[in-house]
Amino acid sequence: MIIREFGVRQGRKALAASLRQGPACLRQLSSLSSETSGTPVAVADPVLQSTLKTSPEAKKTPSLFMQTAKPARKRPVAPDTTKQDWEDAQALRKSMRGVGTTVQPVYSPNDVFRNPPGPKDVTLELLMASQAHMGHHTSVWNPANARYIHGIRQGIHIISLEETAAHLRRAARVVEEVAYRGGLILFVGTRPGQTQIVTQSARLADACHLFTKWTPGTITNSDKILPGLPMKIVDQHDNELEGFDQHLMERRALVPDLVVCLNPLENFVMLHECGLANIPTIGVIDTNTEPTWVTYAIPANDDSLRCLAVIGSVLGRAGEAGNKRRLQDAQKGVVAWETPQAISTWTKIHGKRAEWAARAAREAAEEQAAREAALSGEEPLEKEGEGEVETEGRFRRGQNFRERRPPRASDDS
Amino acid sequence: MSSLRYTVRCLRDIRPTPRPQWHPPAAAATTATATTALPYRPRIHQTARTLSTTASRPADLNNDITKEPPPGWNEFQGAVAATDADADADAGSYPDSSSSSSSSSSSNFGALEAASAVAATPFARAVPVSPSYFSRKPIFNDSYVVVQDLARKYARLPVLPRDKVAPTAWRTKEQYRLAIGEHVKGRDYAECMKLVKRLNQIHPDLMPAEVLAGLAPFKREVNFYLNKPKVLPIDRFGRSHAVGKRKSSIAQAWVVEGTGEVLVNGKPLSDAFGRIHDRESAVWALKSTERIDKYNVWAKVQGGGTTGQAEALTLAIAKALCVHEPALKNPLRRAGCITRDPRKVERKKHGHVKARKMPTWVKR
Repeated sequence: MIIREFGVRQGRKALAASLRQGPACLRQLSSLSSETSGTPVAVADPVLQSTLKTSPEAKKTPSLFMQTAKPARKRPVAPDTTKQDWEDAQALRKSMRGVGTTVQPVYSPNDVFRNPPGPKDVTLELLMASQAHMGHHTSVWNPANARYIHGIRQGIHIISLEETAAHLRRAARVVEEVAYRGGLILFVGTRPGQTQIVTQSARLADACHLFTKWTPGTITNSDKILPGLPMKIVDQHDNELEGFDQHLMERRALVPDLVVCLNPLENFVMLHECGLANIPTIGVIDTNTEPTWVTYAIPANDDSLRCLAVIGSVLGRAGEAGNKRRLQDAQKGVVAWETPQAISTWTKIHGKRAEWAARAAREAAEEQAAREAALSGEEPLEKEGEGEVETEGRFRRGQNFRERRPPRASDDS
Repeated sequence: MSSLRYTVRCLRDIRPTPRPQWHPPAAAATTATATTALPYRPRIHQTARTLSTTASRPADLNNDITKEPPPGWNEFQGAVAATDADADADAGSYPDSSSSSSSSSSSNFGALEAASAVAATPFARAVPVSPSYFSRKPIFNDSYVVVQDLARKYARLPVLPRDKVAPTAWRTKEQYRLAIGEHVKGRDYAECMKLVKRLNQIHPDLMPAEVLAGLAPFKREVNFYLNKPKVLPIDRFGRSHAVGKRKSSIAQAWVVEGTGEVLVNGKPLSDAFGRIHDRESAVWALKSTERIDKYNVWAKVQGGGTTGQAEALTLAIAKALCVHEPALKNPLRRAGCITRDPRKVERKKHGHVKARKMPTWVKR
């Protein structure tokens, strides 16, 4: 249903307005005039009617509304110099770099990501600078951490940095050896802001990372939680191996061989599953955390991203060193890990199947050759006697059967 | 209940191992095709991983397994042992298979080659393809990490204001889930899309190629903002042709500059439509823009009733008029001539007398 009143009231005004703004009208080019108005125009609005009646000369002109139409004013378009400006600014910054006083090394939050410290760089100064010593309020402490605590200052526990450094170095050794033995390491940091830390550590150590919620059962119920996620088979040089598609289809999901947890307080379920599955864990233990949840504790401040970035990069570097050593030894022919039982069993069975298939094929081929030889040899025999023909007929029937038994002594008689 | 579940989980790994069903090759392998599809499923290794929750296997279960070996089992065991010896001595090369594979059929050939390649590698371990393996959403999380890194790396590049950015068709959460097959959480996807849209604001002259690559998984394949409406032509006789629909009527109109003559199905307007209202409706596009004396219309209408035919004509004539004078589109839209009225007869439902009318019902 068309609302005509609306159309009459609004249509003409809108028409005039739009044409004023709009581009050149095709109608303007027309040779026809509007003088011949054969049919009466139904105008419901008395105001409009009066305007139409009072301006007959306007109606006569060929383009009624184009009289008021003006060409759109063109604003001069400034050329976009953003790219040029940006490049100039970069060049200027580069040229001004050497000008002025020499600025002493200052802390930049990105330093730990640009140049990640390794296990060799762990010093008490670095740990102190990254606030690793700050514990929690004394009221929330876990007494099991008493041996890591240096003292109390302004109501909070101060973690002993000698302990932190020693435990961090020990954890780095653990990570390095696990990486050297081809283990799968998982870095977990599920608090907001820890994503960059765990991804960088995993990138360094060629490991896995987790910065979202740990799905309960990822280890103990992995058949249901992680089915069909892509895996690959690699050899001692970390080159991908072909031919294991069937194995990858039917094998079980992977479990990590070492878990590094930056916030054990929120990941008790994961640590418990690791305990059930005999997976060693490394955790950053603050003064309010239970240190027995993890296998290898690193007493440090787990609320400081700066401290966690240092710890994560140290462990990541350790894993990197372990991987490097593993690949170098593999070049020399030394491999410190064994093929997992699942893969070795599958390989054995697969090899046996292939061997038997080959043997069967070979026997079939030999039999075929023998039969052809027999057929070519027996053709002249076919004409000699009736009995011989019968044997031949039986043989031909047997050819169609799937069973091809070797000739027995009874067949000869 | 939880303890029961725990017990069931513990029992999971101590079910008796399914025995391998092996058919001797002499019997089964009569043809080359039969050899490739042996009905054997190795499932032994499925219990290879042992959690500490697993209880040790009861002795009677072990006895049960070893009591009566299936036919062919002893051969199988012997063969496996022989392979072990082979593998120790000579990395598992199969002189038989390599010699016979050349003479056997091609289907056998590939399998044997793969088998020998598998057997020739003494070291093999499984690793996840993606570092986000344990997050259950590896594809999304990998993309998310890439986007976060890019946002960090290119945070200082100049950006366009939001309204100046070329419109991009992003995947919605549901479309993304469908495309990659992972049930991504809405909150995670929203967080990710914030960064993605910020990256997309980078000035196009300075847009790095890796940003474009990183944003690609979040874009739809077809950017519908680039779609252009089809331009209707004016033919060599000065006619424009358009189609309009309403209810179940379909109207075609040819509009040409003229003196206001209208023919609908070969009849003048007054013959085609009995009602004044319908006549007015049919040429309302011309009348509301005061063009009724400037165009001739020749129209065909079919289907439906008089109202539908008249208003289908409105639409057809309005569209055809827009071809002659594109600037009239907005006035015609305000006059209600451009929008297709999508209403149709509602279908009748069962249990109803009509589409919505219910049978009369009185309690007792």
